[in-house]
Amino acid sequence: MAKRSLAMQFDEVVQAMLVSLRPRPEEAPDPELASLTRVAQILRELPREEFRAALKSDLQRRASMSERTAAAQTRGTKEVHYMRPGLTSIIPYVIVRPAAQFIEFLRSSFEGVERMRMPAPDGSIMHAEVAIGNGAIEVSDGNAEYSTAPQAIHLYVDDPDATYARTLQAGATSFYAPTDDHPSGDRWGAVKDPFGNHWYIAKPRGWTPGPEGLRSVQPYLHLREAHKMIPFLEAAFGAEEMGAHKSPEGAVLHATIRIGNATLEIDEAHGEFQPMPCHLHLYVPDTDAVYAQALQAGATSIDPPRDAPYGDRAAGVKDAWGNSWFIATYLGK
Amino acid sequence: MRRNTGVTFLAAGSYIVRPMKATRRLARKRLAKGPHEGVPGQEARGPDERALVEAAQRDPAAFEVLYELHFERVYAFVASRVRDRTTAEDVTSEAFHKALANLQSYEWRGVPFAAWLLRIAANIIIDCAKRAAREFPAPDDPPEPAARLDLQDTEMRAMEHRAQLFRLVGQLPEVQKQVIYDRFVEQRSIKEIAQRLGRTEGAVKQLQLRAVQKLRAQMEGSHG
Repeated sequence: MAKRSLAMQFDEVVQAMLVSLRPRPEEAPDPELASLTRVAQILRELPREEFRAALKSDLQRRASMSERTAAAQTRGTKEVHYMRPGLTSIIPYVIVRPAAQFIEFLRSSFEGVERMRMPAPDGSIMHAEVAIGNGAIEVSDGNAEYSTAPQAIHLYVDDPDATYARTLQAGATSFYAPTDDHPSGDRWGAVKDPFGNHWYIAKPRGWTPGPEGLRSVQPYLHLREAHKMIPFLEAAFGAEEMGAHKSPEGAVLHATIRIGNATLEIDEAHGEFQPMPCHLHLYVPDTDAVYAQALQAGATSIDPPRDAPYGDRAAGVKDAWGNSWFIATYLGK
Repeated sequence: MRRNTGVTFLAAGSYIVRPMKATRRLARKRLAKGPHEGVPGQEARGPDERALVEAAQRDPAAFEVLYELHFERVYAFVASRVRDRTTAEDVTSEAFHKALANLQSYEWRGVPFAAWLLRIAANIIIDCAKRAAREFPAPDDPPEPAARLDLQDTEMRAMEHRAQLFRLVGQLPEVQKQVIYDRFVEQRSIKEIAQRLGRTEGAVKQLQLRAVQKLRAQMEGSHG
Protein backbone atom coordinates (compact mmCIF):
# COMPACT_ATOMS: atom_id res chain seq x y z
CA MET A 1 0.00 0.00 0.00
CA ALA A 2 1.41 3.36 -1.00
CA LYS A 3 2.32 5.60 1.89
CA ARG A 4 0.12 8.68 1.99
CA SER A 5 1.75 12.05 2.11
CA LEU A 6 2.19 13.85 5.40
CA ALA A 7 -0.11 16.62 4.12
CA MET A 8 -2.92 14.10 3.64
CA GLN A 9 -2.32 12.36 6.94
CA PHE A 10 -2.28 15.67 8.75
CA ASP A 11 -5.46 16.84 7.11
CA GLU A 12 -7.22 13.67 8.23
CA VAL A 13 -6.23 14.47 11.78
CA VAL A 14 -7.43 18.07 11.38
CA GLN A 15 -10.69 16.95 9.83
CA ALA A 16 -11.32 14.51 12.66
CA MET A 17 -10.54 17.23 15.16
CA LEU A 18 -12.88 19.76 13.59
CA VAL A 19 -15.89 17.49 13.28
CA SER A 20 -15.36 15.59 16.49
CA LEU A 21 -16.70 16.69 19.81
CA ARG A 22 -13.89 14.87 21.47
CA PRO A 23 -11.36 17.18 23.01
CA ARG A 24 -8.54 15.54 21.08
CA PRO A 25 -8.13 13.08 18.26
CA GLU A 26 -6.60 9.67 18.57
CA GLU A 27 -2.92 9.64 19.30
CA ALA A 28 -1.08 10.10 16.05
CA PRO A 29 1.48 7.42 15.34
CA ASP A 30 4.03 9.56 13.55
CA PRO A 31 6.03 11.79 15.92
CA GLU A 32 5.95 14.67 13.44
CA LEU A 33 2.20 14.26 13.09
CA ALA A 34 1.82 14.30 16.85
CA SER A 35 3.63 17.61 17.27
CA LEU A 36 1.71 19.17 14.38
CA THR A 37 -1.51 17.96 15.95
CA ARG A 38 -0.66 19.79 19.16
CA VAL A 39 -0.31 23.04 17.22
CA ALA A 40 -3.57 22.33 15.37
CA GLN A 41 -5.33 21.77 18.71
CA ILE A 42 -4.46 25.27 19.81
CA LEU A 43 -5.46 26.73 16.45
CA ARG A 44 -9.01 25.55 17.07
CA GLU A 45 -9.28 28.39 19.60
CA LEU A 46 -7.71 31.00 17.32
CA PRO A 47 -9.64 34.27 17.72
CA ARG A 48 -11.43 35.70 14.68
CA GLU A 49 -9.56 38.57 13.05
CA GLU A 50 -12.82 40.47 12.59
CA PHE A 51 -13.56 40.21 16.29
CA ARG A 52 -10.10 41.48 17.23
CA ALA A 53 -10.48 44.47 14.88
CA ALA A 54 -14.08 45.26 15.87
CA LEU A 55 -13.28 45.19 19.57
CA LYS A 56 -10.32 47.45 18.99
CA SER A 57 -12.34 50.08 17.15
CA ASP A 58 -15.08 49.77 19.72
CA LEU A 59 -12.59 50.44 22.52
CA GLN A 60 -11.12 53.35 20.62
CA ARG A 61 -14.53 54.91 20.29
CA ARG A 62 -15.33 54.20 23.91
CA ALA A 63 -12.05 55.80 24.92
CA SER A 64 -12.82 58.95 22.97
CA MET A 65 -16.33 59.00 24.43
CA SER A 66 -15.03 58.63 27.96
CA GLU A 67 -12.73 61.59 27.38
CA ARG A 68 -15.69 63.64 26.28
CA THR A 69 -17.78 62.46 29.21
CA ALA A 70 -14.96 63.30 31.62
CA ALA A 71 -14.65 66.75 30.07
CA ALA A 72 -18.40 67.29 30.35
CA GLN A 73 -18.38 66.20 33.96
CA THR A 74 -15.63 68.60 34.89
CA ARG A 75 -17.81 71.35 33.48
CA GLY A 76 -20.49 70.21 35.88
CA THR A 77 -22.85 68.94 33.23
CA LYS A 78 -23.72 65.49 31.99
CA GLU A 79 -25.43 66.72 28.89
CA VAL A 80 -24.64 64.69 25.83
CA HIS A 81 -24.74 66.78 22.72
CA TYR A 82 -25.10 64.21 20.01
CA MET A 83 -28.67 63.41 21.04
CA ARG A 84 -31.68 65.47 20.26
CA PRO A 85 -32.91 66.98 23.56
CA GLY A 86 -35.42 64.72 25.28
CA LEU A 87 -34.35 61.60 23.43
CA THR A 88 -32.13 58.74 24.55
CA SER A 89 -29.63 56.60 22.68
CA ILE A 90 -32.25 54.06 21.59
CA ILE A 91 -35.81 55.06 20.73
CA PRO A 92 -38.44 52.67 19.38
CA TYR A 93 -39.69 54.05 16.08
CA VAL A 94 -43.19 52.65 15.79
CA ILE A 95 -44.77 52.82 12.35
CA VAL A 96 -48.45 51.87 12.59
CA ARG A 97 -51.68 53.11 11.11
CA PRO A 98 -53.45 55.23 11.92
CA ALA A 99 -50.60 56.83 13.85
CA ALA A 100 -52.92 59.49 15.31
CA GLN A 101 -54.97 56.79 17.03
CA PHE A 102 -51.83 55.11 18.27
CA ILE A 103 -50.71 58.39 19.86
CA GLU A 104 -54.11 58.53 21.54
CA PHE A 105 -53.51 55.01 22.87
CA LEU A 106 -50.12 56.08 24.28
CA ARG A 107 -51.77 59.05 25.94
CA SER A 108 -54.63 57.18 27.56
CA SER A 109 -52.70 54.05 28.53
CA PHE A 110 -49.30 55.35 29.51
CA GLU A 111 -49.83 59.02 30.19
CA GLY A 112 -47.77 59.73 27.10
CA VAL A 113 -47.12 63.37 26.30
CA GLU A 114 -47.00 64.34 22.67
CA ARG A 115 -44.01 66.57 22.19
CA MET A 116 -43.95 66.98 18.45
CA ARG A 117 -46.07 66.18 15.43
CA MET A 118 -45.11 66.77 11.82
CA PRO A 119 -47.96 66.16 9.41
CA ALA A 120 -47.39 64.98 5.84
CA PRO A 121 -49.15 66.89 3.02
CA ASP A 122 -51.92 64.26 2.93
CA GLY A 123 -52.67 64.79 6.62
CA SER A 124 -51.03 61.63 7.83
CA ILE A 125 -48.33 61.81 10.47
CA MET A 126 -44.85 61.93 9.03
CA HIS A 127 -43.18 62.00 12.41
CA ALA A 128 -44.21 62.46 16.02
CA GLU A 129 -42.57 62.12 19.39
CA VAL A 130 -44.33 60.99 22.53
CA ALA A 131 -42.61 61.15 25.92
CA ILE A 132 -43.36 58.30 28.32
CA GLY A 133 -41.77 58.49 31.75
CA ASN A 134 -38.14 59.37 31.20
CA GLY A 135 -38.13 57.80 27.75
CA ALA A 136 -39.75 58.45 24.41
CA ILE A 137 -41.39 56.72 21.49
CA GLU A 138 -41.35 58.01 17.94
CA VAL A 139 -44.37 57.42 15.76
CA SER A 140 -45.21 57.62 12.08
CA ASP A 141 -47.80 56.50 9.59
CA GLY A 142 -44.92 55.44 7.40
CA ASN A 143 -44.86 55.53 3.64
CA ALA A 144 -44.02 53.31 0.71
CA GLU A 145 -40.41 53.16 1.81
CA TYR A 146 -41.00 52.58 5.51
CA SER A 147 -43.77 50.08 6.01
CA THR A 148 -45.75 49.54 9.17
CA ALA A 149 -43.94 47.56 11.82
CA PRO A 150 -45.34 47.10 15.29
CA GLN A 151 -42.85 46.09 17.95
CA ALA A 152 -42.41 44.86 21.49
CA ILE A 153 -41.64 47.42 24.18
CA HIS A 154 -40.82 46.93 27.82
CA LEU A 155 -42.22 49.74 29.94
CA TYR A 156 -41.26 50.45 33.52
CA VAL A 157 -44.11 52.08 35.38
CA ASP A 158 -44.98 52.82 38.99
CA ASP A 159 -48.24 50.88 39.00
CA PRO A 160 -48.31 48.01 36.53
CA ASP A 161 -51.80 46.88 37.56
CA ALA A 162 -53.39 50.25 36.89
CA THR A 163 -51.46 50.68 33.66
CA TYR A 164 -52.43 47.21 32.51
CA ALA A 165 -56.10 47.96 33.22
CA ARG A 166 -55.90 51.20 31.23
CA THR A 167 -54.45 49.40 28.20
CA LEU A 168 -57.34 46.94 28.20
CA GLN A 169 -59.77 49.82 28.39
CA ALA A 170 -58.03 51.38 25.41
CA GLY A 171 -58.57 48.23 23.38
CA ALA A 172 -55.53 46.08 24.13
CA THR A 173 -55.83 42.33 24.61
CA SER A 174 -54.11 40.56 27.47
CA PHE A 175 -51.32 38.01 27.24
CA TYR A 176 -51.36 37.84 31.02
CA ALA A 177 -52.18 40.14 33.90
CA PRO A 178 -49.40 41.53 36.08
CA THR A 179 -47.92 38.80 38.22
CA ASP A 180 -45.17 38.51 40.80
CA ASP A 181 -44.14 35.18 39.34
CA HIS A 182 -42.26 36.54 36.36
CA PRO A 183 -38.68 35.19 36.12
CA SER A 184 -37.30 38.74 36.19
CA GLY A 185 -38.51 39.15 39.76
CA ASP A 186 -40.40 42.25 38.67
CA ARG A 187 -44.16 42.58 38.82
CA TRP A 188 -44.86 42.03 35.15
CA GLY A 189 -47.85 41.86 32.81
CA ALA A 190 -48.14 41.71 29.02
CA VAL A 191 -50.66 43.00 26.47
CA LYS A 192 -51.02 43.44 22.74
CA ASP A 193 -52.43 46.78 21.58
CA PRO A 194 -54.90 47.20 18.69
CA PHE A 195 -52.00 48.13 16.40
CA GLY A 196 -50.10 44.90 17.00
CA ASN A 197 -47.49 46.19 19.44
CA HIS A 198 -46.59 44.17 22.50
CA TRP A 199 -46.26 45.98 25.81
CA TYR A 200 -44.48 44.35 28.72
CA ILE A 201 -45.59 46.42 31.66
CA ALA A 202 -43.43 46.09 34.72
CA LYS A 203 -42.45 47.61 37.98
CA PRO A 204 -38.75 47.18 38.67
CA ARG A 205 -37.59 45.21 41.65
CA GLY A 206 -34.42 43.28 41.13
CA TRP A 207 -33.28 44.83 37.90
CA THR A 208 -29.91 46.52 37.88
CA PRO A 209 -30.32 49.90 36.30
CA GLY A 210 -27.92 51.14 33.67
CA PRO A 211 -25.31 53.76 34.46
CA GLU A 212 -27.78 56.55 33.92
CA GLY A 213 -30.70 54.99 35.76
CA LEU A 214 -33.62 52.93 34.69
CA ARG A 215 -35.21 53.78 31.37
CA SER A 216 -39.00 53.79 31.18
CA VAL A 217 -38.96 52.61 27.57
CA GLN A 218 -36.91 49.68 26.32
CA PRO A 219 -37.29 47.93 22.97
CA TYR A 220 -37.62 44.18 23.44
CA LEU A 221 -36.57 42.08 20.46
CA HIS A 222 -37.64 38.47 20.09
CA LEU A 223 -35.17 36.90 17.71
CA ARG A 224 -34.21 33.67 16.11
CA GLU A 225 -30.61 32.85 17.02
CA ALA A 226 -30.70 35.70 19.49
CA HIS A 227 -27.21 34.86 20.74
CA LYS A 228 -25.81 36.15 17.46
CA MET A 229 -27.42 39.54 18.00
CA ILE A 230 -25.16 40.33 20.96
CA PRO A 231 -21.84 40.23 19.09
CA PHE A 232 -23.50 42.03 16.20
CA LEU A 233 -24.67 44.90 18.41
CA GLU A 234 -21.27 45.09 20.04
CA ALA A 235 -19.43 45.22 16.76
CA ALA A 236 -21.91 47.44 14.97
CA PHE A 237 -22.94 49.90 17.67
CA GLY A 238 -20.43 49.51 20.47
CA ALA A 239 -23.10 47.91 22.62
CA GLU A 240 -22.33 46.38 25.97
CA GLU A 241 -24.02 43.28 27.28
CA MET A 242 -25.19 43.93 30.82
CA GLY A 243 -26.23 40.39 31.57
CA ALA A 244 -27.37 37.45 29.53
CA HIS A 245 -29.17 34.40 30.82
CA LYS A 246 -28.75 31.44 28.56
CA SER A 247 -30.15 27.96 28.45
CA PRO A 248 -27.76 25.02 28.71
CA GLU A 249 -27.85 24.87 24.92
CA GLY A 250 -26.78 28.50 24.68
CA ALA A 251 -30.15 30.00 23.70
CA VAL A 252 -30.65 33.51 25.08
CA LEU A 253 -33.47 33.41 27.62
CA HIS A 254 -33.01 37.09 28.34
CA ALA A 255 -30.28 39.64 27.79
CA THR A 256 -30.03 43.33 28.52
CA ILE A 257 -27.81 45.32 26.21
CA ARG A 258 -26.69 48.87 26.66
CA ILE A 259 -25.97 51.32 23.89
CA GLY A 260 -24.99 54.81 25.02
CA ASN A 261 -27.35 55.84 27.81
CA ALA A 262 -30.17 53.42 27.00
CA THR A 263 -30.81 49.69 26.98
CA LEU A 264 -32.69 47.17 24.92
CA GLU A 265 -33.55 43.59 25.68
CA ILE A 266 -33.53 40.48 23.55
CA ASP A 267 -34.49 36.87 23.84
CA GLU A 268 -34.91 33.81 21.70
CA ALA A 269 -38.32 33.93 19.99
CA HIS A 270 -40.76 31.50 21.54
CA GLY A 271 -44.49 30.75 21.70
CA GLU A 272 -46.57 33.87 21.20
CA PHE A 273 -43.47 36.04 21.24
CA GLN A 274 -42.22 35.68 17.71
CA PRO A 275 -39.87 37.97 15.77
CA MET A 276 -41.34 41.40 14.94
CA PRO A 277 -38.77 43.13 12.74
CA CYS A 278 -39.01 46.78 13.67
CA HIS A 279 -37.53 50.24 13.35
CA LEU A 280 -35.19 51.66 15.97
CA HIS A 281 -33.70 55.12 16.20
CA LEU A 282 -30.16 55.18 17.48
CA TYR A 283 -28.32 58.33 18.55
CA VAL A 284 -24.55 58.01 18.35
CA PRO A 285 -21.65 60.46 18.55
CA ASP A 286 -20.50 59.77 15.00
CA THR A 287 -23.04 58.55 12.45
CA ASP A 288 -20.52 57.99 9.68
CA ALA A 289 -18.25 55.85 11.83
CA VAL A 290 -21.10 53.78 13.24
CA TYR A 291 -22.65 53.30 9.80
CA ALA A 292 -19.32 51.97 8.47
CA GLN A 293 -18.91 49.76 11.50
CA ALA A 294 -22.42 48.37 11.19
CA LEU A 295 -21.82 47.41 7.57
CA GLN A 296 -18.58 45.76 8.57
CA ALA A 297 -20.45 43.84 11.24
CA GLY A 298 -22.80 42.45 8.58
CA ALA A 299 -25.64 44.98 8.35
CA THR A 300 -26.88 46.10 4.95
CA SER A 301 -27.28 49.70 3.96
CA ILE A 302 -30.67 51.41 3.74
CA ASP A 303 -29.35 54.97 3.51
CA PRO A 304 -25.74 56.15 3.52
CA PRO A 305 -24.94 59.01 5.91
CA ARG A 306 -26.38 62.37 4.91
CA ASP A 307 -27.25 65.68 6.54
CA ALA A 308 -31.00 65.37 7.05
CA PRO A 309 -33.16 68.50 6.69
CA TYR A 310 -34.27 68.26 10.33
CA GLY A 311 -30.73 68.84 11.56
CA ASP A 312 -29.37 65.35 12.15
CA ARG A 313 -26.57 63.54 10.44
CA ALA A 314 -28.54 60.42 9.58
CA ALA A 315 -28.04 57.00 8.03
CA GLY A 316 -29.91 53.71 7.96
CA VAL A 317 -28.94 50.05 8.08
CA LYS A 318 -30.81 46.79 8.33
CA ASP A 319 -29.58 43.93 10.48
CA ALA A 320 -29.70 40.24 9.58
CA TRP A 321 -32.96 39.86 11.52
CA GLY A 322 -34.72 42.49 9.40
CA ASN A 323 -34.70 45.31 11.95
CA SER A 324 -33.99 48.81 10.62
CA TRP A 325 -31.64 51.01 12.60
CA PHE A 326 -31.85 54.73 11.94
CA ILE A 327 -28.45 55.98 13.01
CA ALA A 328 -28.33 59.66 13.89
CA THR A 329 -26.14 62.36 15.34
CA TYR A 330 -27.82 65.56 16.44
CA LEU A 331 -25.98 68.44 14.85
CA GLY A 332 -27.45 71.09 17.12
CA LYS A 333 -29.32 74.13 16.11
CA MET B 1 -11.55 12.45 30.39
CA ARG B 2 -14.16 12.82 27.77
CA ARG B 3 -16.52 15.68 28.26
CA ASN B 4 -20.17 14.97 27.98
CA THR B 5 -21.53 17.28 25.33
CA GLY B 6 -25.02 17.30 26.82
CA VAL B 7 -23.63 19.21 29.73
CA THR B 8 -26.04 20.27 32.45
CA PHE B 9 -25.72 22.96 35.06
CA LEU B 10 -25.28 20.28 37.61
CA ALA B 11 -22.48 18.58 35.74
CA ALA B 12 -20.60 21.67 34.79
CA GLY B 13 -21.24 23.82 37.82
CA SER B 14 -22.55 26.27 35.26
CA TYR B 15 -23.07 26.50 31.59
CA ILE B 16 -20.19 28.76 31.00
CA VAL B 17 -17.26 27.41 32.97
CA ARG B 18 -15.98 24.18 31.66
CA PRO B 19 -13.74 21.86 33.54
CA MET B 20 -10.03 21.81 32.94
CA LYS B 21 -9.72 19.96 29.74
CA ALA B 22 -7.34 17.88 27.82
CA THR B 23 -5.89 20.58 25.62
CA ARG B 24 -4.55 22.35 28.63
CA ARG B 25 -3.00 19.26 30.09
CA LEU B 26 -1.44 18.67 26.74
CA ALA B 27 -0.01 22.14 26.55
CA ARG B 28 1.30 21.99 30.08
CA LYS B 29 3.03 18.75 29.47
CA ARG B 30 4.59 20.06 26.37
CA LEU B 31 5.90 23.13 28.07
CA ALA B 32 7.06 21.45 31.21
CA LYS B 33 10.63 21.78 30.13
CA GLY B 34 10.55 25.28 28.89
CA PRO B 35 11.18 28.75 30.16
CA HIS B 36 9.57 31.39 28.04
CA GLU B 37 12.06 33.70 26.53
CA GLY B 38 10.58 35.74 23.78
CA VAL B 39 7.10 35.69 25.25
CA PRO B 40 6.00 39.31 25.11
CA GLY B 41 4.06 39.10 28.35
CA GLN B 42 7.21 38.53 30.28
CA GLU B 43 9.27 41.27 28.80
CA ALA B 44 6.36 43.70 29.16
CA ARG B 45 6.70 43.61 32.91
CA GLY B 46 9.19 46.39 33.28
CA PRO B 47 9.14 50.13 33.57
CA ASP B 48 7.97 50.26 29.94
CA GLU B 49 4.69 48.64 30.83
CA ARG B 50 4.27 51.00 33.72
CA ALA B 51 4.77 53.93 31.38
CA LEU B 52 2.19 52.53 28.97
CA VAL B 53 -0.40 52.06 31.69
CA GLU B 54 0.18 55.52 33.08
CA ALA B 55 -0.09 57.00 29.60
CA ALA B 56 -3.45 55.28 29.15
CA GLN B 57 -4.59 56.54 32.55
CA ARG B 58 -3.83 60.07 31.41
CA ASP B 59 -5.24 59.59 27.92
CA PRO B 60 -7.71 56.74 27.29
CA ALA B 61 -6.80 56.79 23.61
CA ALA B 62 -3.46 55.25 24.60
CA PHE B 63 -5.31 52.17 25.86
CA GLU B 64 -5.06 50.88 22.32
CA VAL B 65 -1.40 50.02 22.86
CA LEU B 66 -2.26 47.92 25.88
CA TYR B 67 -5.01 46.22 23.91
CA GLU B 68 -2.57 45.29 21.15
CA LEU B 69 -0.16 43.89 23.69
CA HIS B 70 -2.63 41.86 25.65
CA PHE B 71 -5.49 40.85 23.36
CA GLU B 72 -4.17 37.38 22.52
CA ARG B 73 -3.32 36.66 26.13
CA VAL B 74 -6.76 37.57 27.45
CA TYR B 75 -8.50 35.73 24.63
CA ALA B 76 -6.37 32.61 25.15
CA PHE B 77 -7.20 32.67 28.85
CA VAL B 78 -10.93 33.11 28.29
CA ALA B 79 -11.21 30.64 25.41
CA SER B 80 -9.71 27.92 27.55
CA ARG B 81 -12.39 28.44 30.19
CA VAL B 82 -15.64 28.89 28.33
CA ARG B 83 -17.53 26.61 26.04
CA ASP B 84 -17.82 28.33 22.74
CA ARG B 85 -16.46 31.08 20.56
CA THR B 86 -19.42 33.41 21.09
CA THR B 87 -18.98 33.30 24.84
CA ALA B 88 -15.22 33.71 24.52
CA GLU B 89 -15.77 36.83 22.45
CA ASP B 90 -18.43 38.17 24.81
CA VAL B 91 -16.24 37.72 27.86
CA THR B 92 -13.10 39.08 26.18
CA SER B 93 -14.99 42.11 25.00
CA GLU B 94 -16.48 42.77 28.41
CA ALA B 95 -13.09 42.31 30.07
CA PHE B 96 -11.42 44.96 27.92
CA HIS B 97 -14.34 47.34 28.30
CA LYS B 98 -14.20 46.96 32.06
CA ALA B 99 -10.45 47.41 32.04
CA LEU B 100 -10.80 50.61 30.05
CA ALA B 101 -13.58 51.88 32.30
CA ASN B 102 -11.66 51.06 35.48
CA LEU B 103 -8.19 51.95 34.33
CA GLN B 104 -7.91 54.68 36.94
CA SER B 105 -8.32 52.13 39.70
CA TYR B 106 -5.31 50.13 38.53
CA GLU B 107 -2.49 50.88 40.88
CA TRP B 108 1.06 50.02 40.12
CA ARG B 109 2.27 47.73 42.86
CA GLY B 110 4.50 45.59 40.73
CA VAL B 111 1.52 43.44 39.80
CA PRO B 112 1.75 42.92 36.06
CA PHE B 113 -0.97 44.62 34.10
CA ALA B 114 -1.66 41.27 32.40
CA ALA B 115 -2.52 39.73 35.77
CA TRP B 116 -4.96 42.56 36.46
CA LEU B 117 -6.62 42.01 33.07
CA LEU B 118 -6.90 38.26 33.61
CA ARG B 119 -8.41 38.84 37.03
CA ILE B 120 -11.10 40.98 35.44
CA ALA B 121 -11.78 38.30 32.82
CA ALA B 122 -11.88 35.58 35.48
CA ASN B 123 -14.35 37.58 37.55
CA ILE B 124 -16.64 37.99 34.57
CA ILE B 125 -16.61 34.25 33.99
CA ILE B 126 -17.36 33.61 37.66
CA ASP B 127 -20.15 36.20 37.68
CA CYS B 128 -21.78 34.60 34.67
CA ALA B 129 -21.54 31.21 36.32
CA LYS B 130 -23.06 32.47 39.55
CA ARG B 131 -25.82 34.23 37.71
CA ALA B 132 -26.59 31.13 35.72
CA ALA B 133 -26.62 29.02 38.86
CA ARG B 134 -28.97 31.48 40.53
CA GLU B 135 -31.29 31.85 37.58
CA PHE B 136 -31.41 28.18 36.75
CA PRO B 137 -30.75 26.30 39.93
CA ALA B 138 -30.27 22.58 39.54
CA PRO B 139 -32.72 20.44 41.51
CA ASP B 140 -30.30 19.69 44.31
CA ASP B 141 -28.48 22.98 44.62
CA PRO B 142 -25.06 22.63 43.13
CA PRO B 143 -22.20 24.16 45.04
CA GLU B 144 -20.71 27.46 43.99
CA PRO B 145 -18.87 27.09 40.72
CA ALA B 146 -15.31 26.19 41.44
CA ALA B 147 -13.49 27.94 38.65
CA ARG B 148 -9.90 28.53 39.53
CA LEU B 149 -8.60 32.02 39.26
CA ASP B 150 -5.07 31.62 40.43
CA LEU B 151 -2.97 30.54 37.56
CA GLN B 152 -0.04 28.37 38.34
CA ASP B 153 3.19 29.00 36.51
CA THR B 154 2.70 26.03 34.25
CA GLU B 155 -0.78 27.20 33.29
CA MET B 156 0.45 30.71 32.76
CA ARG B 157 3.12 29.38 30.43
CA ALA B 158 0.58 27.29 28.54
CA MET B 159 -1.59 30.34 28.11
CA GLU B 160 1.35 32.44 26.92
CA HIS B 161 2.19 29.65 24.52
CA ARG B 162 -1.28 29.74 22.99
CA ALA B 163 -1.27 33.54 22.86
CA GLN B 164 2.11 33.50 21.13
CA LEU B 165 0.81 31.02 18.57
CA PHE B 166 -2.21 33.27 17.88
CA ARG B 167 0.18 36.18 17.25
CA LEU B 168 2.38 34.14 14.95
CA VAL B 169 -0.55 33.22 12.73
CA GLY B 170 -0.80 36.89 11.86
CA GLN B 171 2.75 36.81 10.53
CA LEU B 172 2.25 33.88 8.16
CA PRO B 173 2.37 34.47 4.41
CA GLU B 174 -1.05 35.73 3.34
CA VAL B 175 -2.27 32.58 1.61
CA GLN B 176 -1.19 30.31 4.46
CA LYS B 177 -2.86 32.62 6.93
CA GLN B 178 -6.03 32.49 4.87
CA VAL B 179 -6.01 28.69 4.91
CA ILE B 180 -5.51 28.61 8.69
CA TYR B 181 -8.39 31.01 9.34
CA ASP B 182 -10.68 29.30 6.85
CA ARG B 183 -9.92 25.89 8.20
CA PHE B 184 -9.70 26.39 11.95
CA VAL B 185 -11.87 29.45 12.59
CA GLU B 186 -14.47 29.23 9.84
CA GLN B 187 -14.19 25.44 9.78
CA ARG B 188 -14.48 25.30 6.03
CA SER B 189 -13.82 22.09 4.15
CA ILE B 190 -10.67 21.64 2.09
CA LYS B 191 -12.87 21.55 -0.98
CA GLU B 192 -14.48 24.87 -0.16
CA ILE B 193 -11.16 26.53 0.60
CA ALA B 194 -9.75 25.17 -2.66
CA GLN B 195 -12.63 26.78 -4.54
CA ARG B 196 -12.23 30.08 -2.72
CA LEU B 197 -8.51 30.22 -3.40
CA GLY B 198 -8.69 28.79 -6.89
CA ARG B 199 -6.29 25.98 -6.02
CA THR B 200 -6.45 22.20 -5.97
CA GLU B 201 -7.42 20.38 -2.80
CA GLY B 202 -3.97 18.82 -2.70
CA ALA B 203 -2.39 22.26 -2.82
CA VAL B 204 -4.57 23.48 0.04
CA LYS B 205 -3.57 20.50 2.17
CA GLN B 206 0.05 21.33 1.43
CA LEU B 207 -0.50 24.95 2.41
CA GLN B 208 -2.17 23.85 5.62
CA LEU B 209 0.72 21.54 6.43
CA ARG B 210 3.36 24.12 5.63
CA ALA B 211 1.63 26.77 7.70
CA VAL B 212 1.38 24.53 10.75
CA GLN B 213 4.95 23.32 10.30
CA LYS B 214 6.11 26.89 10.17
CA LEU B 215 4.16 27.78 13.30
CA ARG B 216 5.58 24.77 15.08
CA ALA B 217 9.12 25.70 14.09
CA GLN B 218 8.62 29.27 15.29
CA MET B 219 7.15 28.12 18.56
CA GLU B 220 10.10 25.85 19.14
CA GLY B 221 12.42 28.68 18.20
CA SER B 222 10.77 31.01 20.66
CA HIS B 223 11.33 28.49 23.42
CA GLY B 224 15.05 28.21 22.81
